[in-house]
Amino acid sequence: MRARSTSLLLLPGLAFLLVGFLLPAAAMLFAPPGVTFLQVLERMGAMLTDPYDLGIMWRTVRIGLVVTALCVVLGFPIASLLARSQSRWAGVLLALAIFPLLLSNVVRTFGWLVILGSNGVIGQILTGLGVVDDAPQLLYTEVAIVLGLVQLFLPLAIITCYSAVAQVDPGLDEAARGLGASRTRAFWTVLVPLSLPGIVVAATLVFAGSVTAYTTPYLLGGSSQRMLSTQLFSYASVTVDWAAASATAIVMTVLVFLVSGLSSLVGRKGATS
Amino acid sequence: MTTPAAELIGVSQRFGSFTAVDAIDLQIPRGRLTTLLGPSGCGKTTTLRMLAGYSAPTSGRILIEGDDATRTPPEKRNLGMVFQSYALFPHLTVADNVAYGPKMRRVPAPERRLRANEALELVGLAHLADRKPKQLSGGQQQRVALARAIAIRPRLLLLDEPLSNLDARLRVQMRAEIRRIQSETGLTIVLVTHDQDEALEMSDEMVLMRSGKIVQSGAPRDVFPAPADRFVAEFLGYENFLALGDGRQAAVRPEHLRVVPLDTPADGAVALDAVVRDVAYRGVDLLVTLDATDATGAAVRLLADHRADTATGPTPSAGDRVRILAPEARLALLDPTPIPATPTEGIS
Amino acid sequence: MSQVLSQAGKRSLRLRHPVAGTLAVAGYVVMIVPILFVVATSFTAGSTLRFPPDGFSLRWFAEAAAYTPFVEALVSSLQLAVLATGLALLLGVPVTLAIHRGRIPGKELLEGLFLSPLVVPELVVGLALYQQLMIGLGLNNFSTLLLGHTALLLPYAVRVTGASLALADPALEEAARGLGASPLRAFVTVTLPMLRPGLISAGLLGFVTSFNNVPLSLLLQTRDFRTLPVTMLDYVQQSYDPMVAAASTIVLAATVVVAVVAERTVGFAKIFGGINR
Repeated sequence: MRARSTSLLLLPGLAFLLVGFLLPAAAMLFAPPGVTFLQVLERMGAMLTDPYDLGIMWRTVRIGLVVTALCVVLGFPIASLLARSQSRWAGVLLALAIFPLLLSNVVRTFGWLVILGSNGVIGQILTGLGVVDDAPQLLYTEVAIVLGLVQLFLPLAIITCYSAVAQVDPGLDEAARGLGASRTRAFWTVLVPLSLPGIVVAATLVFAGSVTAYTTPYLLGGSSQRMLSTQLFSYASVTVDWAAASATAIVMTVLVFLVSGLSSLVGRKGATS
Repeated sequence: MTTPAAELIGVSQRFGSFTAVDAIDLQIPRGRLTTLLGPSGCGKTTTLRMLAGYSAPTSGRILIEGDDATRTPPEKRNLGMVFQSYALFPHLTVADNVAYGPKMRRVPAPERRLRANEALELVGLAHLADRKPKQLSGGQQQRVALARAIAIRPRLLLLDEPLSNLDARLRVQMRAEIRRIQSETGLTIVLVTHDQDEALEMSDEMVLMRSGKIVQSGAPRDVFPAPADRFVAEFLGYENFLALGDGRQAAVRPEHLRVVPLDTPADGAVALDAVVRDVAYRGVDLLVTLDATDATGAAVRLLADHRADTATGPTPSAGDRVRILAPEARLALLDPTPIPATPTEGIS
Repeated sequence: MSQVLSQAGKRSLRLRHPVAGTLAVAGYVVMIVPILFVVATSFTAGSTLRFPPDGFSLRWFAEAAAYTPFVEALVSSLQLAVLATGLALLLGVPVTLAIHRGRIPGKELLEGLFLSPLVVPELVVGLALYQQLMIGLGLNNFSTLLLGHTALLLPYAVRVTGASLALADPALEEAARGLGASPLRAFVTVTLPMLRPGLISAGLLGFVTSFNNVPLSLLLQTRDFRTLPVTMLDYVQQSYDPMVAAASTIVLAATVVVAVVAERTVGFAKIFGGINR
């Protein structure tokens, strides 16, 4: 293919990418309407010293870390189980793990309202058993957000770990067993180290998704448990504070980039050692 | 002399600073099978791809049946190409694969089917017309690729390492098969290979290439006994290289070295005393490794095939002192300096 | 669920370790059980979201289907998803071809550029489009949504179709040319069929992604053109009745249909093989 016809193929896509994504994103970060970049920076400086804003950032990171840890701890065993099994059930269970990825986040998160809400399942069980007199408030807590996000991102963790485990030669497990390792030791000394790059990717995807998710903190966290995303929405839509919105957007983007960069650094180091 | 089927005149192909093909001149005679033979990276596949039109030469001209085709796109050249990977369309049946070329030429459907069937008959696969390529063995896929290339009634049939993905037995069968197809159709064939046995067995003309240049060319029975230089000799399976004392260099094949007792009279052009290093049993013969000193006093290691049933004297064993003989007629005299690319006169 | 797992255990899907087994069961419970509760509550005859539901009826399905904002938003979301997916494929496939078959420098950089919409948080992209295009340039919200969704789906179009193309032997196109096909004909008769699984995967994935999207669309809503997930989200915030559960169950059923189509055409698991890495 000649260079000229190649660029003809690229041009429409590039134009769209530029107009629909790159230019607006750059303009929003550096020059929101009626606000200078300096004012955005000032606003960001103020946020980084304000206890309320800092609290939101810390909550976002904290929830992101907890969700990531839970997704890896739950997702990796499922992935290795499914990848190593010959049973026909494995296919069904894999499909069951992938299916939620196709389903609307609103639908998935809505279920927690039924479970955790004031007339919810858990409340009724607790009062029904006489454990408590009044159902405790389970919605609008960090626990609710964590549960919702784990539900949302566990499928992603599973399929990412699954492809990592599937790439590890099953002969290696057998070799380790033959050399005297128990199942558990073979798991920890062979499967886990060899799937580590995949685990790192899974963790990165889950973390980036958790700290930027909107639906879950909105429905399950409410206004009492603000995260960066819900805060950003309120700056942009309720108070129309462009400087604050841009500053929050920068913080969120930097957080995601930082973690992605860190993980690809870890990945590269893992690949060379 | 008729116009050659194809002709390359001063054709070069450079990729950045790397010269894959270096100003070669080549004529492809009509109705014959020409092989381009050489080690990987010698430029043989690049030459074939330029002939087919898949990459334009950096300089030089390509004539097909006398017409300049240097800039003609592949679809206008009417050359049938068989790719190393066969490149069968996985989404089409065998019949549709073979009918693809006629379809592109707007041949009406009934005639298309006829032509596809005819081509499949030729390769003996008409009964598999409705299969998909994936359902065929490697050898069958190869035949389909051949049929597909033949079905366009090409001016030349170009085969890029067509047998390299087949197992050894099938490869030998397919050599005969391709020769048969050629004699039945009278097609001009250009075949690229790195296998000297294949080239020797199949070619009417063989063209040896190295580093983008043509090193030697001619009919196998002319080239084989007279390799132009050490590179060609090694490539054709000569194992033993000797200085003859009169300044000449000679190459000898292992089967032409006789291992005889020390007291045998030293007749022939080569007669050296040697020590047996190793004897390996190979069924029909023994492979004897020997250390000797040639006429210039240089130490040489020699390989000889020793057939116990026809040889005279005792069977050699390691440590024996023996005599090595080779008749003048079996020596291939080499040009002591590697020769530059020669114009391929004498073809056709 | 635990029963499925333990029963499966007898058929060689062995929960090799009690800890691993417990974690696996817990994972499936968290993923699946909330969805089941949505379905269960949508069939209630009562007027509050509670479990167990008060009786059985289809009344909330009837109400959801008659609720104009939901119906209008459904139509809008379908329009948007179909257009954005089509546009992303139309723009993305040529890019894939250029990246995989063209002779151009900096291919990795180019591919990275086209994947970049995946890296920036969608909410941030939504904010940018809202502020710069809708408010700044006065673009209407449908065009802005279409631009944004198309940019968001471009990475899928480029990567997923690229994965199919990478599997296809480049000699196939050359073979077609050698047999007499013009470049365009070779593309239509050979390359496009090779791309088919990738096109279907990218299409399904793109459609679902656009249809379900909240963060990018959130700020780009107007009274005239609203998307379904955002409309449902707003409704939950206002009133707490089982109509959203019914709407959710309908969306769930439609998603099951999409999944079955995916399984029948290219294989369910394969579709997601292309997303990561």
